[in-house]
Amino acid sequence: MTSPTATGPGAGPVSPAPASRRSPWRLGRRLLLAAAFAGPGLIAANAGNDAGGIATYASAGAQFGYQTLFLMVLITVALVVVQEMCARLGAYTGAGLGALIREQFSLRVTAFALLAFLVANVGLVVSEFAGIAAALELVGVSKYVSIPVAVTVIWALVVFGSYKYAERVFLILSLAFLTYPIAAVLARPDFAQAGSALIWPHFTGSKAFLLLAVALIGTTITPYMQFYIAAAIVDKGIGPADYGKERVDAVSGVIFSDLISMFIIVATAAAIKTRAPLASAQQAALALRPVAGRFAAQLFALGLLGASSLAAAVVPLSTAYALSEAVGAESSVGKSFREAKLFLGLFTGQVVIGGAVALVPGNLIQLLVQAQVVNGVITPILLTFVLILANRRSLLGAAANGPVFKVVATVCVTVTAVMATAVLGLTVAGWFGIS
Amino acid sequence: MAFPSPSAALRHRFERRTRRLEVAREVRESLVSLAGLQGRPVRLRGGEVIGKVVDVVVHWDTDEPYPPLSGVVAKVGARRAFVAAGAVASVTQREVLLATARLDLRDFAARSGETALAAQVLDHQLVDIDGARVVRAADLYLATFGETVRLVGVDVGLASLLRRLGPARWRTRPTPEAVIDWASVQSFGAGAGQNGARLASHRGELSKLRPAELADLLEDLGRRERQELLDLVEPDTAADALEEMDAAELHQLLAETDTAQAARLIGRMEPDEAADALRDLSEEDRTAILAVLPQQAAAQLRPVLDHPADSAGGAMTTILVLAHPGDTVAEVRRRLAGQAEHVVDLDAIIVVDDEGRLADDISVGELLLAEPGTLLSELMGPPWPVTVTVDADVREIADRLIDSRRLSVVVLDDEDRPLGRILADDVLDAVISGRRRWQIPRAR
Repeated sequence: MTSPTATGPGAGPVSPAPASRRSPWRLGRRLLLAAAFAGPGLIAANAGNDAGGIATYASAGAQFGYQTLFLMVLITVALVVVQEMCARLGAYTGAGLGALIREQFSLRVTAFALLAFLVANVGLVVSEFAGIAAALELVGVSKYVSIPVAVTVIWALVVFGSYKYAERVFLILSLAFLTYPIAAVLARPDFAQAGSALIWPHFTGSKAFLLLAVALIGTTITPYMQFYIAAAIVDKGIGPADYGKERVDAVSGVIFSDLISMFIIVATAAAIKTRAPLASAQQAALALRPVAGRFAAQLFALGLLGASSLAAAVVPLSTAYALSEAVGAESSVGKSFREAKLFLGLFTGQVVIGGAVALVPGNLIQLLVQAQVVNGVITPILLTFVLILANRRSLLGAAANGPVFKVVATVCVTVTAVMATAVLGLTVAGWFGIS
Repeated sequence: MAFPSPSAALRHRFERRTRRLEVAREVRESLVSLAGLQGRPVRLRGGEVIGKVVDVVVHWDTDEPYPPLSGVVAKVGARRAFVAAGAVASVTQREVLLATARLDLRDFAARSGETALAAQVLDHQLVDIDGARVVRAADLYLATFGETVRLVGVDVGLASLLRRLGPARWRTRPTPEAVIDWASVQSFGAGAGQNGARLASHRGELSKLRPAELADLLEDLGRRERQELLDLVEPDTAADALEEMDAAELHQLLAETDTAQAARLIGRMEPDEAADALRDLSEEDRTAILAVLPQQAAAQLRPVLDHPADSAGGAMTTILVLAHPGDTVAEVRRRLAGQAEHVVDLDAIIVVDDEGRLADDISVGELLLAEPGTLLSELMGPPWPVTVTVDADVREIADRLIDSRRLSVVVLDDEDRPLGRILADDVLDAVISGRRRWQIPRAR
């Protein structure tokens, strides 16, 4: 009679605790549940709809109307292929991409890959701070005030540990962008034109179109997302046995997020008919007028502020984590900052450099798009690593890419690489006055 | 009340080891850096160069603290040839010199019981047992003892990484600044992908680790290494470590562990901690594990799992020692001795009447001081037990503990029958977890 076997009156299905009572008992568990509800695939893909994403999609709509829609379909296919490979690598090896690259490639190649990753992500951080500045300019705050304040606040939020609460606020603010599909429909776009642009292949040979195409690739197939989805799958403890479900999540996440992206393009194309590069956030906000009327700018500002602030903390954090993991300093990451000099240095460096670059005088929206071009040029480098890893039978065994998948994935990587090289070539030629 | 903090103790161990290494600085000349050796010539006795060093293979399944050389993998033309240790005359930083003037080349093939250091250990995770931390090998050092070349240390310094990035000239110069003695390293098997053999042998040193240290290591390791470490330590030690792990990390670990192993570990955890861990798992995994658990363990867990996590019913331990007023102190002490493994959860025994209703809660201290022949009814009396119902929340429990100055409260059902007990330390965990010392958010 050491343990009573009687069950209490509350026996039965576990009822969720009432939300109103904020019991400190296992607060973390509820967060975990919330995170489990939105799978890693969905979260990762939606990271594409950050400040840079919004600016690039809006730019595409304003400048080229519906012409980029077909390209977005191709990008979606490529993103499905890429995210699936990364999710598979995470599930079957149980290691993040940073650690995998370190273990599977020589040290010099690893250093090159991680440097590329770091540069791409600093580019993202720049665009997040530019996004914050653009949002606050809409309500009349100069970027020379907003950026230094944002850098300080975000750094302090993360370092002093109250970031978790701020994160929820940012997340809710960024939901403002879910109004884009409604705005797209209300704006009465030319459905016939949009439909045919979606289905019929068409490309424009101009340099501006190529640049924007690479920016679209860069903001949609971000290197950051590949590292994120692999790490998130490892963190959830998903192994080969549960991988089937995760694959569905990864693919549906990509499709959902790219649908939103296409709605942004359609809404902007319908609202702005000048067919010139976006001049300001004020102009981009016009696309939300069918929903918010004269408060369109405010709604756009809220969404942009939320999405940018969220990513301005998460991107440098996860970059610092991936690099620490590859260097072998993972043991210091879970500890306090005093024991994590490398981690803290990487985080601080990215936030400060990102903020400083965003301060450079000029058009913020165009800066946002240019940062995505940098990502687009680096994307194929990291995609190559992902492809080699996912092809490797010694690593994945039977789960390695099959012959058909291998061909499709190789085509995706090659096409992005060719486009990135073209942009790089044009840019370098531009420096020497040839264009 | 001066407990040495765990981190201070660690730092001390660490410093002591660093000093030891400085004394041995002259050893530097005799160390051969593996990263520097790669690409250096393999020379025949006659002076002819037959190829370049690709990798160094050591015996892995020995009990010796420093694994001995098994052979060298050399690139000869387009082939990867294996040169057995018997044919190697010396290994220096500049070259591998062979004992023979001729050599029969044999293609390299991985054999069980051996590990190719560059392919499988360099750049991979290792556990530094002395420092109780996870490291990644930046370089490995070989040294010659008498006739035998052995793996003696692992370099974890940033300087070594930079050296390897630089030109070949830098690579050959060992920079042993952050070297860990191989004898205090737990390495992992040469598991190449899916079907890699688990070759790492158990190091007695692992038993030096405290549960909290082991928990930190488990959190930092990759999945394969983590599973291997779990296999290497005693199941009871592993269960203790799991109790110390962060909830999210524990969830990850259990989700990726196969059901039988997960059930073995959960069965050895204290019921309240085990219930917390199970609650985080998916319905499917939870049912599977409960089905595999031994009857008794599952019976202890089910009542806790039936209550919401943030209620008293969900946080209680069901390990109770019950007694009747007519029992003697000696009898109860015997019953307590039978529960010795749960000693941390046993702070008092519960006296119940004939209908199973709570009569009193007698602390273990009181039992210790009483004469063995005393009847429990004689010990009953004020202070009366502190009780809560299954749906009390943590704040209420904390208030009751503060008011009564007791170390635990008894959880009762509607008919005053005891269901479980909540210990002050669990309440402390719950209260503190809201405002823990700031940590780096583990976002990736």
